[in-house]
Amino acid sequence: MDIIHQVEQLFLQDKIDIFLGYKALDGHLIPHGFTKEKLNELKDLKISDDRYSLEKIATHLVQKDPDIKIGIIARDCNQRSLNLLYTWNQLNPENIEIVNVNCCPSPIKAHGDCSYLEPKQSGEFKKEHGVDFNADPESFMETYNNNERFSRWMYEFNKCIKCYGCRNICPVCFCTECSLEHASLVEPGTLPAEVPIFHLIRATHMAGRCIDCGLCEDACPSHIPLRLLYREVNEIVSTVFDYRPGEGMEKSPFTIIGDKVTLEPKPMDFQVEGEK
Amino acid sequence: MDCKFVPSVCSYCGTGCGVLFEVIDGKINSTIPLKTHPVNQGKLCIKGWNLHEYINSYMRLKTPLIKEDGSFQKATWDEAINHTAKKLNHIKQKFGPDSIGVLVSAKITNEENYLAQKFTRAVIGTNNVDHCARL
Repeated sequence: MDIIHQVEQLFLQDKIDIFLGYKALDGHLIPHGFTKEKLNELKDLKISDDRYSLEKIATHLVQKDPDIKIGIIARDCNQRSLNLLYTWNQLNPENIEIVNVNCCPSPIKAHGDCSYLEPKQSGEFKKEHGVDFNADPESFMETYNNNERFSRWMYEFNKCIKCYGCRNICPVCFCTECSLEHASLVEPGTLPAEVPIFHLIRATHMAGRCIDCGLCEDACPSHIPLRLLYREVNEIVSTVFDYRPGEGMEKSPFTIIGDKVTLEPKPMDFQVEGEK
Repeated sequence: MDCKFVPSVCSYCGTGCGVLFEVIDGKINSTIPLKTHPVNQGKLCIKGWNLHEYINSYMRLKTPLIKEDGSFQKATWDEAINHTAKKLNHIKQKFGPDSIGVLVSAKITNEENYLAQKFTRAVIGTNNVDHCARL
């Protein structure tokens, strides 16, 4: 296979120390780190329809060895999250070699060969009470009024079992201190933030971050249409700041640490109507 | 640097969700759900997501303990199993098999539960077998 030859060349040219791809084990395609020392393993290198967050594994490797050179199989979603991780200084683009493969349908690309080729079908009950998986943000906003949208989202959020899977699987969730479990915000030993605060905290943090890979929705045991939620949040970022996360190497408009704040301070003592 | 993924079954309950351990240089670094597993289909609960934490926990018991003179002493598996077998035999002979009961667990597999009830009925000779999920 061509891709095996490509990766072999990367190893022989000393461009990478480790290559993150997939291999078959007991009938499952699982991620694997191929190394130069075990070059004969490369014949098992596969492309998987089941996506894992290989970039997240790369960030784990970099935490252990900051100078490690990593090769990685990348669909468009992987590529987007890599771009985002570069701009947030989580990975160094000079140490990453990408081997591109076909990807899944997204607003950016129509062709795909992953789990999203067949869209998820929403059941009848969910269509009546919840949020349709296949809805796009605009038509969803147009079809339902504020109250109805709120009750539909609350129906979805109330199913949440607080597994933190959406955060754990997310390739662009890399904060060392997470506001969903920080001891000063969520007292240890108590329940995590309630519905819908938990979800809205994550939704606001996904603004300018979410690269629409859909792994969170895949990992959600309660089938909450998180992808639609984060798409809607990012629609705002795109309209206001003209920024689409992961599309290029442009920094997020929310990267303000160390920079001068350009927003002008405004007085907060404005008059509320009907009050003195 | 060595990085591999080891498929396993979550040990927290009897559901049997498939997990993948991310092993970097021989040490388990994180747990992710196995996407193609027929049971959990790429999803996990909060316990499964944190499966790696107890493996590396400093509080984890790594050897069996035998209580001697009111305090627990470290022992080998052979010592512990021999000790238990001897005590069970002693109790069975002195008070009869119905003086022993076996409580199995939702945390072990179906097959282990089967073995446990077989051991209780065929080896000890009592029907006193129950399950921790009967609450």
